[in-house]
Amino acid sequence: MYHAIVFLPLVGFLIAGIFGNKIGARASEVVTTSLLAVACALSWVAFVRVGFYGEDAQVKIASWIVSGSFSVDWAFRIDTLTAVMLIVVTTVSMLVHLYSIGYMHEDPARPRFFAYLSLFTFAMLMLVTADNLLQMFFGWEGVGLASYLLIGFWYEKPSANAAAIKAFVVNRVGDFGFLLGIFLLFVLFGTASFDELFPRVGELADAKFHIFGHDYHALTVAAFLLFMGAMGKSAQFLLHTWLPDAMEGPTPVSALIHAATMVTAGVFMVARMSPVFEYAPAALTFVTVIGGITAFFAATVGLVQNDIKRVIAYSTCSQLGYMFVALGVGAYSAGVFHLFTHAFFKALLFLSAGSVIHAMHHEQDMRHMGGLRRYIPFTAAMMTVGNLALTGFPFTAGYFSKDAIIEAAYASHNPAAGFAFIATVIAALMTSFYSWRLYFLTFEAKPRWGEHAEASHAHGHDAHGHAHGHDDHAQDDHAHDDHGHGHGHDLKPHESPLVMLIPLAVLAVGALFAGGLFKSFFIGENYDAFWRGALFAGPENHILHEMHDVPTWVVWSPFVMMVLGFVLALWFYIINPRIPVSLAQSNPILYRFLLNKWYFDEIYDFLFVRPAKWLGTFLWKKGDGWLIDGFGPDGVSARVVDVTNRVVRLQTGYVYHYAFAMLIGVAAFVTWYLVGGAH
Amino acid sequence: MAPLFPAFSVVLPEFILAAGALVLVLIGAIRGERSNGLVSALAVALIAAAGIAVAFQGGERAEAFGGSFVVDNFARFMKMLALIGSAAALLLARDFFQRAKLDRFEYPILVVLATLGMMMMISANDLIALYLGLELQSLAIYVIAAFDRDNARSSEAGLKYFVLGALSSGMLLYGSSLVYGFTGTVAFPGIAAAVAGGHGGTGLIFGLVFIAAGLAFKISAVPFHMWTPDVYEGAPSPVTAFMASAPKAAAMALLVRVFVGAFPDIIGQWRQIIVFVAIASMVLGAFAAIGQRNIKRLMAYSSISHMGYALVGLAAGTANGVQGVLIYLALYLAMTLGTFACIIAMRRESGQVETIDDLAGLSNSQPVLAFLFAMLLFSLAGIPPLAGFFAKLYVFGAAIEAKLYGLAVIGVLASVVGAFYYLRIIKLMYFDEPKAGAYQPMAPEVRFVLGVSSVVVILFWLAPASIVAAASAAAKSLF
Amino acid sequence: MQSLLADYLPLVIFIGVSLVIGLALLISPFIVAYSRPDPEKLSAYECGFNAFDDARMKFDVRFYLVAILFIIFDLEVAFLFPWATVFGGLGWAGFWSMMLFLGVLTIGFIYEWRKGALEWD
Repeated sequence: MYHAIVFLPLVGFLIAGIFGNKIGARASEVVTTSLLAVACALSWVAFVRVGFYGEDAQVKIASWIVSGSFSVDWAFRIDTLTAVMLIVVTTVSMLVHLYSIGYMHEDPARPRFFAYLSLFTFAMLMLVTADNLLQMFFGWEGVGLASYLLIGFWYEKPSANAAAIKAFVVNRVGDFGFLLGIFLLFVLFGTASFDELFPRVGELADAKFHIFGHDYHALTVAAFLLFMGAMGKSAQFLLHTWLPDAMEGPTPVSALIHAATMVTAGVFMVARMSPVFEYAPAALTFVTVIGGITAFFAATVGLVQNDIKRVIAYSTCSQLGYMFVALGVGAYSAGVFHLFTHAFFKALLFLSAGSVIHAMHHEQDMRHMGGLRRYIPFTAAMMTVGNLALTGFPFTAGYFSKDAIIEAAYASHNPAAGFAFIATVIAALMTSFYSWRLYFLTFEAKPRWGEHAEASHAHGHDAHGHAHGHDDHAQDDHAHDDHGHGHGHDLKPHESPLVMLIPLAVLAVGALFAGGLFKSFFIGENYDAFWRGALFAGPENHILHEMHDVPTWVVWSPFVMMVLGFVLALWFYIINPRIPVSLAQSNPILYRFLLNKWYFDEIYDFLFVRPAKWLGTFLWKKGDGWLIDGFGPDGVSARVVDVTNRVVRLQTGYVYHYAFAMLIGVAAFVTWYLVGGAH
Repeated sequence: MAPLFPAFSVVLPEFILAAGALVLVLIGAIRGERSNGLVSALAVALIAAAGIAVAFQGGERAEAFGGSFVVDNFARFMKMLALIGSAAALLLARDFFQRAKLDRFEYPILVVLATLGMMMMISANDLIALYLGLELQSLAIYVIAAFDRDNARSSEAGLKYFVLGALSSGMLLYGSSLVYGFTGTVAFPGIAAAVAGGHGGTGLIFGLVFIAAGLAFKISAVPFHMWTPDVYEGAPSPVTAFMASAPKAAAMALLVRVFVGAFPDIIGQWRQIIVFVAIASMVLGAFAAIGQRNIKRLMAYSSISHMGYALVGLAAGTANGVQGVLIYLALYLAMTLGTFACIIAMRRESGQVETIDDLAGLSNSQPVLAFLFAMLLFSLAGIPPLAGFFAKLYVFGAAIEAKLYGLAVIGVLASVVGAFYYLRIIKLMYFDEPKAGAYQPMAPEVRFVLGVSSVVVILFWLAPASIVAAASAAAKSLF
Repeated sequence: MQSLLADYLPLVIFIGVSLVIGLALLISPFIVAYSRPDPEKLSAYECGFNAFDDARMKFDVRFYLVAILFIIFDLEVAFLFPWATVFGGLGWAGFWSMMLFLGVLTIGFIYEWRKGALEWD
């Protein structure tokens, strides 16, 4: 069964990737989606068996590397954590596959798209089922690759390529730390396998690691390095810059990879490595701080973004910060729970946004939307559900998981917990604000498309250019911006096809009920029976109990924040729409600061990109071109030609020159022996 | 006094060639131009017969003419090489000369006489026999170098070769007289004994230098190489093929026999000359060839550098070194003959072409020829697993054994430089656009020579033992 | 060293004698001979050359061909003379050696004849 879950997507990838152009787009879609559906069904079976019947499993597939004492297997470690991830990954992936059939239906490269989606799913499943660090790294890099390919799926667009490269490079920074962490753990424990590693972590609780002339607490260093990988993959503060740009990819990709699954890999990894983190309190504090900052920072940026996908992207970033706060304060299960619920409602939001974009003929700028509720009521309803769940409306999914995190932050004894609590509460306010802002701008008030659209055509588009909605354009018409997206005619927004709406409905169900249904298992009274040690908590870690005993105002604070945010948004964008403009005008610095995402891209450009480029240019022009080529290949070949020209000039064609050369030669030999050669 | 005709079997191959050559002269003289084809065929038959006679001579050392003529494994090995080279030169020439209206019966006879001279050189065991063989070979080659006598380049080639050859012969004779004067004998064993006994000194070294210069001229080693490019370019292609193959082998054999046979005890002295000449040849050949546009001229520099590589083995002065020389010469013979077969195949309707630009795009029009040519060039460049690589491997290995590290390193570096011009031809053949039409079909003899040499070059690594074992036995017979 | 130089004394005497004779023959015509200039004396030689002219000129190669062929047989005679003087002591081996030599020479002569080298036109 586990083989099937993991390898069916691979089969789908191979079929669609290799034979995609032969069997056609429709067949590729059907094959990959149905294989995913099978994997998804099996995952739910597995989840029930593991989560509720306690049937953990170890499945060894093959031996991978055997070198001396170092041996790594291809193997699946199936415990509750894995099972949770399995259903998240396969369910969202299956729904995204299904949705993409509708969303991408005019793209000529659909087989490639579906192949990439399945490849991503396979890599993600390898990651979550990994039974050792190396296999996890394999999956880790595999999802990175698939993410790169999918962000740059529309490779004719320079911005998509740039975004893909940026995502890859920023992740490389994190991956470097992750790799060093793996190395360090291997050095400490002599194994990469979780089964051998986790029971022995306690033995080395006080081990020191000597480097750069200082002794460091080994497990803390290891945890830091591992978390560096998580920061990259989960777009945490400082390494977050790639995530908003990754929205260059098709919207289903954003839903699958950059909301529900891949970006949560960091959360999963920290949860998986909880036995190590539990012995590294300093690292946990760091995780908490970074999580809190990210939750706050991303939310502030989300307040002012105008691109519908970017708002959700920053929201994702912010919610990931929540999860890390939970992990940092030791409430691993709360983090994973939020991961689980977040997958549903964030995928729902993204897919709804995709439906809006689809309806608006690839318009993504919310300033050119408005009043869409009358045209696409179902999408509007789905978006509402998503917003409710995200903002934590009582008894939706987000209510249980997010509030649990805020309570855990309050209850924790972690030094950074107070900061994290304040950050997450304020972030909750902002979350509510920007979520409803998005909703109001898009679906309520007066339509701002139509007459304006012609004028605004030149900017704000992130359109990938398939002229959806006009059948008079050729299928392979890929290069798009020049011939509008239907602005001149037939602009009327239209509801998406059924194949896109079904996934929305399914996710909406999840967004509404996944929290209430599973709360008792993830963080409630059935905790022990459900997790059975898949998440490790140190002997002093009683956070799950303490978080139930927090003061009432703490319990109510997120709810108050949510209502406050809703009211604010309502006031700003429905009742008195002039306020945001005047606010922005009266605080231009703050507005620009937020609009430009705290100037992170500019700072990084100045700090890293330009020096790196300068160094690269220097090494290229001077180091390679001048030094190595000049004195190496080019220099040598030029000298060879010089020598050749001289030698050739010796060959005059005159017999007496030739004879002279011979006599000179003899004379030279004779002289050589006379002067001292002969002994 | 020893009987004058003691062992007829010892000189049987030479006798066959000598008597046969006289018969051919008679046939040609009496029947005139009609006899061209017949004489040519008979010449090949003579050489084949001589080859068979060499093959059936025993392995043990035998002497004749009062010890001035010796047959041992070394001589037999080299004679086979010389005979193969001569036969191939005759085969390559027939069609070529017919088209050039140069097919005279004198050419095969001169080749046979040159071959006779080479065989005498190879078997020479004293300075007089050495000189006789050398002059017989040289005089014949002077003539055939100018064989296209209406062509100014060919005449010039013959004249230059003759004038400079005469100079080198003079040096050789002067060196021989010095050696005779200081050791009192012309026989190699006698010279060796005298040298071992401490006779000689500086005068002997002078003689050695002059003999070395005379012989180095024949193998076109630097600085006695100057004639080579002009003569190779000017002489008709089959003659160039002949000059580049058999006489080189014979002269190298002579060099080995003189130095190893007559001066074994002052290896420290003559090694200096050989090392210098080897380095100069390898380097100059590699560098100068880069500037050439004419493929025959290029092959001239190629042969200069290849002789340098062969001398590396001689510089080692050991049995392994000599074995390396012999293997090198055998494989060089195959590579050279194959390459010249390709050059002779470069004929369009307008006539023979010789610049390397004429090879552009050969892979499109004649893929088989291009492939075999490419393999031969790769082999000349010394790229494994082709024969040329093993040839270099053996000589450099011997040099390393003899602790001549610098020589081996310079040799390897020179072959890197040298690889450039071979690879450039391959690049031309495979990546450049053809400028003119395809070549005309090859004559069957040329095809045969190309085929056999390609098989040797490409498949040598499958069965190296045959040549290596023979070369090993030959080398041991000198020590 | 003295003995070595002494060995060369006859050579020095020989050179001296030849020098004297040569000079005597060179100088005596100026003293004793009578002079009678004649235009015929400055006309072309039998070989077709002008008596006083640039050496780099076209000439008829047939003169040289004849001369070269003459030299071969001239040298053959020079070789035959010493052989003939000691013929009695050489025996059959000496006899057949010379016969072989002459045979080879004859074949060359036949070739020369057939090629027409001996005919002027």
